Amino acid sequence: MVETILKLTNLRKVYIMGDKKVARKAQKAIQKLHIKYEKAIKNNSDDFKSISNTLNKAQELFSSEKYTESYLLLTGKEIHEDKNEKGVVVHALNGINLEIKTGEMVAIMGPSGSGKSTLLNMLGLLDTPTTGQIFLRDINVTGISNKKLPDIRSHQLGFVFQSFNLIPTLTAIENVMLPLKYSKVPIRNRKNMAKQALEMVNLGDRLHHTPNELSGGQRQRVAIARSIVNKPAIIFGDELTGELDTKMTREVMELVIKLNKNGQTFIIVTHNPEVAKMCQRTITIIDGKVAKK
Amino acid sequence: MVEILKNMWRRKTRTMLTVFGIAVGILALVVMGAMAEKLNLLVDGGTTYYKDKVTVSAKGSSFMALPIPITKKLEIEKVPGVQAVFGEAYAMLDKDLSAVNFGPPASIIGYQPGSEKYESFKLNISRGRKLIESDSKKVVLGSDLVKKLNADIGKNIKLRDTEFEVVGIYEKTFSTPDTTVMIPFADGQMIMYNDQPEIIRTNTKPSEIVYDFIVYPTKGTDPDKLAAKIQSEVSGVTTMGPKAFNDQITTSVGMFTSMIYGIALISLLVGTLSIINTMTMSISERTKEIGIKKALGAKNSDIMIEYLTEAGIIGFFGGLIGLGFGSLFVFLINSYMEKTGDKIFLLTPKLMIGAMVFSIAVGVIAGIYPALYAVKISIVKSLREE
Repeated sequence: MVETILKLTNLRKVYIMGDKKVARKAQKAIQKLHIKYEKAIKNNSDDFKSISNTLNKAQELFSSEKYTESYLLLTGKEIHEDKNEKGVVVHALNGINLEIKTGEMVAIMGPSGSGKSTLLNMLGLLDTPTTGQIFLRDINVTGISNKKLPDIRSHQLGFVFQSFNLIPTLTAIENVMLPLKYSKVPIRNRKNMAKQALEMVNLGDRLHHTPNELSGGQRQRVAIARSIVNKPAIIFGDELTGELDTKMTREVMELVIKLNKNGQTFIIVTHNPEVAKMCQRTITIIDGKVAKK
Repeated sequence: MVEILKNMWRRKTRTMLTVFGIAVGILALVVMGAMAEKLNLLVDGGTTYYKDKVTVSAKGSSFMALPIPITKKLEIEKVPGVQAVFGEAYAMLDKDLSAVNFGPPASIIGYQPGSEKYESFKLNISRGRKLIESDSKKVVLGSDLVKKLNADIGKNIKLRDTEFEVVGIYEKTFSTPDTTVMIPFADGQMIMYNDQPEIIRTNTKPSEIVYDFIVYPTKGTDPDKLAAKIQSEVSGVTTMGPKAFNDQITTSVGMFTSMIYGIALISLLVGTLSIINTMTMSISERTKEIGIKKALGAKNSDIMIEYLTEAGIIGFFGGLIGLGFGSLFVFLINSYMEKTGDKIFLLTPKLMIGAMVFSIAVGVIAGIYPALYAVKISIVKSLREE
């Protein structure tokens, strides 16, 4: 049986910008109850069902911009909204439930502003959800302290970005060695591991080239080598072919498919239907919700 | 480390200007510090010299160098606690002091060779011999005066138009004796007598005047208490014990030293501010890279260490260049001053190591604010930057 590598339950991300005091207060109250809910589950407490019901109702009210009602439900206290307050509440993710299996290659699609990049940031532990839970190999990583997150990122997660995001002053091999440095791999092993990763993406003859001495496709392959060097559980690709032409897109995607066939899990955010077609599954996000799995 | 050096080299001119800013500060610190070191050594020598004796001079001689009658020796010897009293004749080597001297000016001291038996401040001979009781018109030179007077063992030198034979040269002490000419007491009295105004000369003989008396206390006698006792029991004299020396010299030199270092520190502060500016600029240019590194698993401490190391390296190179130019400056000035027998700088290993450590520390401290700024950068926001 294929194990679930990543699971999201009721994931929400709310950005409150400007003076929205009532929304902020309601949001704080929701987060407080959420912590209580997680504790209740952890301790197998009987009242987790009633907490869950209240939480769901409060979140529904919050999503429909009824902040005073949400706050009243959670605290029993009334607050008044100042209509002159400027600001905006953005519901970037609005209750996402997902499961990704080991070895899957999943595409996340959706129009601009639908929340797919926000979702990827949550999955990659680059940002924290407002409420909800993320389980990485059955471990709830939403409650993990900020101090422990870099360890998880360097050992279990790999990233490939749209604009390659290589360090311009470093050579290809030095760029690939970076995650090894942060995961405290002994110095004597780093060079060999990085060299192997670059050979795997057919760049064994470009080890000492800096990014500006490489083509777009080669740069993205360096970025892929950097993402696989630590043998992570999941690699996240954020529009990884966004800056490549058709030929280079095919070249990079062939490499991704090859790595996936060797068991590497990929989650790729893309606008390109051709890229999505190459994936085993496509998840469509619209208005912060999963529209199609 | 390679990455840090490459990062520094991205903006060569900016990095070099920052390094130069620190270098100027360290140069000032090294030069001023070398001056303070020399001064401190002179004071240390004086403190050691005066620690177990009392100096007795004529009352009012702190305003002008007045001779004291030799007859006072008998009165001083009668004071309980006095073991031995020796007269000293003193004159400046250059009668007309034309230049501003750093520390005591080069001097001629006529001393009684028997006093060495009581003296704890030992002056060793590097070449030749010491003066003996029967010597006349002989000199032993301080090491810094050999070049100035073009002297050597067996050669004659002229002191106030009188020929003296050089019989010995003292070992270097880095202190006052290096610029002192020691001659027999009677010869010293003659030189001192000839330097006096006519009114004094007509009323006294050379053998009757002394510049000051060095009083050695008996074992167990506190020299400061003895100084007070002589002051009260012998009329027309001023005494100075170890405490009075410390009070007069150490305090004023301490203030001078603080001023010297203060000036150097102000210039270093400018360098520090330029590091903060450079590092903050450099971090805002590299915001996206910081985000990438964090996404790849860099901890806040990794980012902190990276930027503190970069700031430390700027401090290190600034220190190295400042120390190099500072040492060269000190060497050139000392070489020039050697001809006059008055070296004004002393570059010690302590000062050199201190300047380097200080320079690196300044770099690291200046890097703290920018590094903290780098740590606070949000991954998501920084990755969005173009």
